[in-house]
Amino acid sequence: MIARTERFYRGRTSWDRLVAPRSIGIAGIVLDIVALWVALPPVTVRSVLLPVLLAICAIAAGIWAFTRGERRLGGGAVVGALVAVGCTVLATHAHAANLEGVFVWSALIAATLRWATPLTFAALGGMFSERSGVVNIALEGMMLMGAFFGAWGADKTGSWFGGVAIGAASGAALAFVYAIFAIHLRADQIVGGTGINFLALGITGYLYNDIYGNKGTPENLPAVPDVHLTFLSDIPPKGLGNFLFDSFGSLNLMIWISLILLPVSYVALFKTARGLRVRSVGEHPRAADTVGISVYATRYSAVTLSGLLAALGGVFLSIGYVNAFSENMTAGRGFIALAALIFGGWRPFGAFAACLLFGFSSALAQRLPDLSASESAAWPVLFQALPYVLTLIAVAGIIGRSIPPAADGQPYEKQ
Amino acid sequence: MADERPVLELRGITKRFPGIVADDHVDFDLRDGEVHALLGENGAGKSTLMNIVYGLYHADEGEIRVNDEPIRIHSPKDAISRGIGMVHQHFMLIPVMTVAENIVLGNEPTKAGDILDYAAARKRVTDLSRQFGFAIEPDARVENIGVGQQQRVEILKALYRHADILILDEPTAVLTPQEANELFEILRTLTREGLSIIFISHKLNEVLEIADRITVLRRGKKVDTVPRAGATEEGLARMMVGREVLLRVDKPPATPGEPLLQVENLHVLDELGLEAVNGVSFDVRRGEIVGLAGVDGNGQSELIEALSGLRKVEAGRVRLAGRDVTGASAHDVLHRGLGHIPEDRQRRGLVLNFSLAENLALHDYDAEPNARFGWLFPRRLVQRARGILRQFDVRGGGPQTLASALSGGNQQKVVVGREMSRDPHVLLAAQPTRGLDVGAIEFVHRRLVEARNGGAAVLLVSLELEEIVSLSDRVLVIYEGRIAGEYPPDVSEEELGLAMTGARKEAA
Amino acid sequence: MTEGAAPPPPASSPEAGPPTVAERLAFYQRAGGVLAPLLTALIAFIIGGLVILATTGKNPLSTYRAIFDGTGLNWFFHVGSYSITLPFSETKVWFPWDTGSLAALNLQQTLIVVTPLILTGIAVAFAFRCGLFNIGGNGQYTIGALVGVQVGVWFAGMPRPLHILIAIVAATFAGAVWAGIAGILKATVGAHEVITTIMLNWIALWIGSYLVGFNGPMQDPRAISAPVTKPIADSAKLPVFWGNPALQGLHIGFFIAIGALVVYWILLKRTTLGYEVRAVGFNPEAARYGGISVPKSYFLAMAISGAFAGLAGAIDILGWEFRLDLTVVQSVQIGFIGIAVALLGRNNPVGIFFAALLFGALLTGTSTRNLDPTIFKPELAGNLTRIIQGLVVLFVGADLLIVYFWQSIRKPFIKLRRRLGLRAKSVAVEAE
Repeated sequence: MIARTERFYRGRTSWDRLVAPRSIGIAGIVLDIVALWVALPPVTVRSVLLPVLLAICAIAAGIWAFTRGERRLGGGAVVGALVAVGCTVLATHAHAANLEGVFVWSALIAATLRWATPLTFAALGGMFSERSGVVNIALEGMMLMGAFFGAWGADKTGSWFGGVAIGAASGAALAFVYAIFAIHLRADQIVGGTGINFLALGITGYLYNDIYGNKGTPENLPAVPDVHLTFLSDIPPKGLGNFLFDSFGSLNLMIWISLILLPVSYVALFKTARGLRVRSVGEHPRAADTVGISVYATRYSAVTLSGLLAALGGVFLSIGYVNAFSENMTAGRGFIALAALIFGGWRPFGAFAACLLFGFSSALAQRLPDLSASESAAWPVLFQALPYVLTLIAVAGIIGRSIPPAADGQPYEKQ
Repeated sequence: MADERPVLELRGITKRFPGIVADDHVDFDLRDGEVHALLGENGAGKSTLMNIVYGLYHADEGEIRVNDEPIRIHSPKDAISRGIGMVHQHFMLIPVMTVAENIVLGNEPTKAGDILDYAAARKRVTDLSRQFGFAIEPDARVENIGVGQQQRVEILKALYRHADILILDEPTAVLTPQEANELFEILRTLTREGLSIIFISHKLNEVLEIADRITVLRRGKKVDTVPRAGATEEGLARMMVGREVLLRVDKPPATPGEPLLQVENLHVLDELGLEAVNGVSFDVRRGEIVGLAGVDGNGQSELIEALSGLRKVEAGRVRLAGRDVTGASAHDVLHRGLGHIPEDRQRRGLVLNFSLAENLALHDYDAEPNARFGWLFPRRLVQRARGILRQFDVRGGGPQTLASALSGGNQQKVVVGREMSRDPHVLLAAQPTRGLDVGAIEFVHRRLVEARNGGAAVLLVSLELEEIVSLSDRVLVIYEGRIAGEYPPDVSEEELGLAMTGARKEAA
Repeated sequence: MTEGAAPPPPASSPEAGPPTVAERLAFYQRAGGVLAPLLTALIAFIIGGLVILATTGKNPLSTYRAIFDGTGLNWFFHVGSYSITLPFSETKVWFPWDTGSLAALNLQQTLIVVTPLILTGIAVAFAFRCGLFNIGGNGQYTIGALVGVQVGVWFAGMPRPLHILIAIVAATFAGAVWAGIAGILKATVGAHEVITTIMLNWIALWIGSYLVGFNGPMQDPRAISAPVTKPIADSAKLPVFWGNPALQGLHIGFFIAIGALVVYWILLKRTTLGYEVRAVGFNPEAARYGGISVPKSYFLAMAISGAFAGLAGAIDILGWEFRLDLTVVQSVQIGFIGIAVALLGRNNPVGIFFAALLFGALLTGTSTRNLDPTIFKPELAGNLTRIIQGLVVLFVGADLLIVYFWQSIRKPFIKLRRRLGLRAKSVAVEAE
């Protein structure tokens, strides 16, 4: 049990850090992204020469990093180079006009944010729960509750705010039920979470059919308003202003709320005393217990909060984006959010970066069918699988490296 | 100088668990400014008693008085508010957090709402450590500091909460002798500053060095409380065990034959990628028991794992009965004549949800006659099991009983029986008597000698020096991944202890 | 919570970490026997009944009765004097039940649904035995169905037994491969199989949507306006042994499913592979120390699990669907229900059979065809079934509930046994 006090030291000087294998590996990945990007608008290089050159440099960097111990980054750079070249070939074969139509970056940015927001809410919720030591794979179900009850609440109260409040409360309530099973009854948390997901599917489907039946949710459902930032288009130069306005000028209020929640949750979890206690309960509950922290109370609060946040993601889906509810409309987003959380190392900004990535893939998947020449081709539907494939790759490539809170998933037994 | 008034008094404390009385009407008192040792064997009830004082357990009967006032302690929070602090045997520290964060957890200094005032925390920690005379790095992560330092963090946790009474549970179990001496210095400083200390231990020599008074517990009952003056090791041992302690196992002298296990210049890395086994070479010959002594964490576990095929060998060679098995998988090495009694019988030795018959086949379930071409013959498993269970006197069930239904001692008998009935060339025994009662310990010792007499080469790894010394024909000491010395079995424990801390380096 | 009042959860040892799923379910087996699953189902139905009462005001018992009548299980209650024709001959033999009644028809429908449920239940159960959670039954079923359809369309004209065999083998293999992806990821990089199998579910859904959708490669060119595949050749259809083939009779796939239960049991208890899988499921560390390759077991367990689910997909196609439809691809739920089946059935062949029977019956009983909308709306009933499934899964996940219940029921029995001098089996507790 004698802990080793010496650890590997990376070079202390800046130059050492610059040529460290880790940096070279990251540089390789960056080169891959650039190689692909130059083939796209606005640069739209039409010959594969430049991208291939960049890809070769990336492969070299990747091999360098790989042989010096950075296997994941190095391997990622090499694989990314091949993917980049492949995509570049496809891009150069597509009509430039189609490319221009698909890769409207401002629209893509706005769409990315829209797709990412439910993920962000759920991932933040999952973060609180897991940091306190309770695995929450029922984010999907809690999100779905929020989606339905947000719509129903908005309908009943006639205001979007009522919808938000009721939706959030429904997620918190479901989470509380889950908390009882996971914490007090010490259920297997994954089995319990799956049960909660079934339950949410059944409850929302049942109530939806009972209340709204064949007609569906009303057309004029009160929706969460968009935030119009017209001043953006006035920013010189004109091109930049338009770009900014198209990207950020008409985003929904809840998107902005999700962005504000990022630093708020960071401070709450990592800078406050209460956050310290939450994290201690997730790392070593017995140690927290011996200094008088209530493990149960902390976990209950964290799990309930996670349900509330995940439900907000669902509320955005139903009354902030689609303006309707349909059965099982969350379509696996809760699980993608969980993957984003793991990808991001259980930290808010890391998880958000992953959510952006997944959101981008969904946004792209929506637009990519426009690339093809024919109207009725079937293959564009495959792009709908893109976010899930990406999640699979992320989970496969990253999991081993990221370390969850030490007591994550282990029920605590008071003695 | 200790004051006569008791600051803490326990009267008639009784605690029952299903099937056992852990503490039986125990009386205990702690005087102001003294170091009071609580002595007893494993299972005597010392930790349980102190866990009651700290609020982790609730007593079934009895009374606790602090400064002559009867109080109720329902949780650690109550104990802390009464000035009682405890340093547990297994540290209650959060590895990924810093020293300062660990110390202030639960009583954090805050500013502007709930924001953690880390600067204030750091200052308080530094002030405290200076006051009590030990150096500590407030911003270091606990996982990066040594065990001795971690223990100091635990002590500081108690001092931060204004403890007047400090309970230490087996504090030297994880320390080198040098670190133990440093700890004793700290304890003396603490008593000078007005604290009263309870020191739980089962090590006689330490208790005699540091304690002012000694209370001996045996099987949940208090035997006596004696002052240090006039107490002797033999006297205390007799009180602890209740009979003359037999320290040696009877065995005929060894007649070792050819080497069955040959380890040459072995290098093995640990989880962090650092060298755990650093060029170890030794032989174990037919018909002898080689004991490997060392403080926990010096490479013994990694060595055993490498020998049993569970950890990668970076360099060096291992030969089993003449055959090179370096880098062979666990499966291969078990089938080539290795027997392995693992360190943790419940986590590594047995599948508790399997029946005894299935467990007894764990290391050769896919060999004849248990199976052929992937087809299993459960009836043969049961038959073989019946024989082994009888031969090794396993009580508590038959071949179909689940392993979880057996007591610890009987579970270990199953593990020992499994390995020995496979008639291995080489038997690795890692801490084979941990957590066992005296009867089971005697059983395991007898069987190990039996294996050795039958011609096996036995490598015994243990943290108990007594066990090593009484069983081994040769003793090796491992320190920081190297063999620090080889000794005959009649070597003194001090000599071994010094080698275990690197003080002596004798040519192997 | 006072210490000593409740028995500890079934962990290997106090420091060994939480119990694996395999350990928990084995514990229920021992602690609760047959009674606990019955109790779990009963409580779930009671809660479901409360939901019916609270939301629609209808009488839960009559609703359940109506659902029950639709399942065909009431067929067994009408005993009379009828006759059936022995297979492969013309002789008529006396038989106590009417094989042509409406209840018989309903029962056939139920058993048609029970067949794939048994298989997906086995799939989940086998993975559970290795400590793995296979939520990918939907995707594996879909892949199996796709392969089954395509092989059924090709090779037309082959002798029937051969064609069926090839289709089944191909689909089973495809399901194994699909689950094997998750298995490899778990074995090599330790990727959690819950996330990977769920992602694979959705990927399979979209691959299927592409293949079977409009202008997709598998779409039937004759059905221009419908996203559906060509029907399989007659030589690939499973023979029907009860009922009218033209009206979706019960096919021999039912026996294949029963056979699969036997194969499941044999695999687990009579092969070295099964021994390894069980050991890894109960205690991966001890298994590793015993020389068992834990990654290999993870991979094989997932692959075999996927094989069963893929088989389910093939049997549905070859048995009664005969073609694959986009709406079917996008609404597969049978893998999820398999989870409830495996949990309620405690990973045990007999349990899986009855749990599959229960949930299959619920599915047919609440379908639009069998449930009178005036008594209860079928869409509501379908969702009610989901709620019941969720409750079952939740309760199974909480051993303390069962243990408390069981302990309080068992106490008088324990006292009785002790008085009679019989030794009570107990889990050893090591106190300090």
